[in-house]
Amino acid sequence: MNRKNFLSSLLTTGATFPLSKFMEVHNEMNELPSSIPPYLKIGDTIGITCPAGNITLEEIQPAIQQIESWGYKIRIGDTVGKKDFTFGGTDPERAKDFQQMLDDNSIKAILCARGGYGSIRILDQLNFTGILAKPKWIIGFSDITFIHSHLSRNFNIASIHSKMCNSFPDDWSKAEPVQIESILSIRKALSGEQMKYDIVPDAANRNGSATGMLIGGNLKTIETLSGTKSDMQTTGKILFVEDTGEYLYSIDRMFWNLKRAGKLDELAGLVIGGFKIKPDDPGEEFGKTLYDIVLEKIKDFYYPVCFGFPVGHQKENYALKHGVIHSLEVNPATVSLQEIRSAKS
Amino acid sequence: MIKTPPYLQKNDTIGIVCPAGYMSIEKAQACINTLQEWGYGVRIGKTLGNDSPNYFSGTDAERLSDFQQMLDDDEIKAILCARGGYGVGRIIEEISFKKFKKNPKWIIGFSDITILHSHIYSNYEIAGLHAPMASAFNNGGNENGFTGSLKNVLEGHKIRYQASPHVFNKKGEAVGELVGGNLSLLAHITGTSSDIKTKGKILFLEDVGEYLYNIDRMLYQLKRSGKLNKLAGLIVGGFTENKDTERSFGKTANEIIHDILKEYKYPVSFGFPVSHEKENYALKIGVGYKLKVGKSKVTLEE
Repeated sequence: MNRKNFLSSLLTTGATFPLSKFMEVHNEMNELPSSIPPYLKIGDTIGITCPAGNITLEEIQPAIQQIESWGYKIRIGDTVGKKDFTFGGTDPERAKDFQQMLDDNSIKAILCARGGYGSIRILDQLNFTGILAKPKWIIGFSDITFIHSHLSRNFNIASIHSKMCNSFPDDWSKAEPVQIESILSIRKALSGEQMKYDIVPDAANRNGSATGMLIGGNLKTIETLSGTKSDMQTTGKILFVEDTGEYLYSIDRMFWNLKRAGKLDELAGLVIGGFKIKPDDPGEEFGKTLYDIVLEKIKDFYYPVCFGFPVGHQKENYALKHGVIHSLEVNPATVSLQEIRSAKS
Repeated sequence: MIKTPPYLQKNDTIGIVCPAGYMSIEKAQACINTLQEWGYGVRIGKTLGNDSPNYFSGTDAERLSDFQQMLDDDEIKAILCARGGYGVGRIIEEISFKKFKKNPKWIIGFSDITILHSHIYSNYEIAGLHAPMASAFNNGGNENGFTGSLKNVLEGHKIRYQASPHVFNKKGEAVGELVGGNLSLLAHITGTSSDIKTKGKILFLEDVGEYLYNIDRMLYQLKRSGKLNKLAGLIVGGFTENKDTERSFGKTANEIIHDILKEYKYPVSFGFPVSHEKENYALKIGVGYKLKVGKSKVTLEE
């Protein structure tokens, strides 16, 4: 069977199976849609904090200036400029700063200054009950995947997976268009625009359409969440994954964790973002590509898959609303990921 | 109740396979010779010295078939994994333990082989042997006490291991089944059908070549998945060739482990000779041990 026929024969099953499966599972779990924090209005305040790695006040100036130019106010958390080795302050300092931002009603969104490592060390110290009644946007990616997943799994609150302060260009006039567009997508997400991304199809994509809650983030982090109370529940969802600096064998092992933990079985769709792959050591050639690694894990399933989505540790990394219902359309000529609004919102 | 495979008799055959990374026969020669000197026959599996073009010692199908044959062949009384690396996780779901369940045999190895040990222990309650692999026999390693401990275990001797005291040790006595292995693999199998239960057990951990922040992250995973709070005791092996980030993590591996254990009261032994270095005693996974952490010495006995 040649590739074209193979794809078109999948198209019919791909179009119907995941959707019906999704409805069934969705009902079974009686899962509620996420609570969507209020979108920001001009004059609202965004707090900047460091739950993981450290950053200086100087390093976040480009982000502050840009966000203020959008009409928002900035509150700089105590952890900005703090340094405890790689961390933006000690565990208690980072937990306290984040907690204050969570509890302060005048702060409408929390922007994590950077990822790195450290969210997991404070996650269980944080009290999210305040934002259950008054949800607010939490913004970030990479190590912040811990927080997105924890929020979604335990509190059913949507959040924004996007670039952070350390990715704002120093000189806006010299930045590449995709970098500017990626930064501006944060503003779109925060201000309540309906998100829609059209990207160029990859030849290895699996066609089909899917509807489901969009969840995901950094693959290594998702693996580390396995078995914990912040673990991702992927049934009926559109899962996106990205990673950086990992060997192919390690990416393979992480996808095995997803598969063996049942996280790939009942997806509505799969979105493969950017993977900056660490080259194999000499004499240790892995012999499989990222495509091989992904496709062999999902060969028994029929949901749509798209490769090369612009999310990850790269300049082109668009804001995605984590925990919000999206539709994914993967066709030979187009790929689109679009937020679906219920009548109420 | 845990099942212990029969110990070996003279002239019993040990099968050597590579379920994960590639290894040449030359690199396993000292091991083969030593096993023969110990009085065993050796059957070399097709995956040792396989003409694989890449990292693995053969395709998934080849590695699976070689391992499965050794597992099902009644002539083979123990299977020694020549090396770890990466690859057991790719075939573990395909291995049939149907015959093995009725006639268990010792499966020997560590590192990536942790998946096999955990999987077999959790699903079939059969003991495994966390022990040196083929390369440990090279450069005179065949004459040290660590490969020697493998010989003793295979012959059925009960061993009492001693370790030096360590400033971070927590004194006390623990009795329980021994589980554990490579930290990366234990973290990786969390949430899968090979996952281990640690309640009331003595857990041991070791790792090699990991970033310090990642060691911290993996320990948080164990902690947050409830694997550290109800242990009988903990054995910290070697954490060697650690890597650090450009901005230093600021703690050694032992300090990271010491910190995360602060709230627990069970005995802990640091610097136990189980590691990717020469210091790597043969330990029976799933078998009951007594761990005594005293002021001047640490002992682990079956």
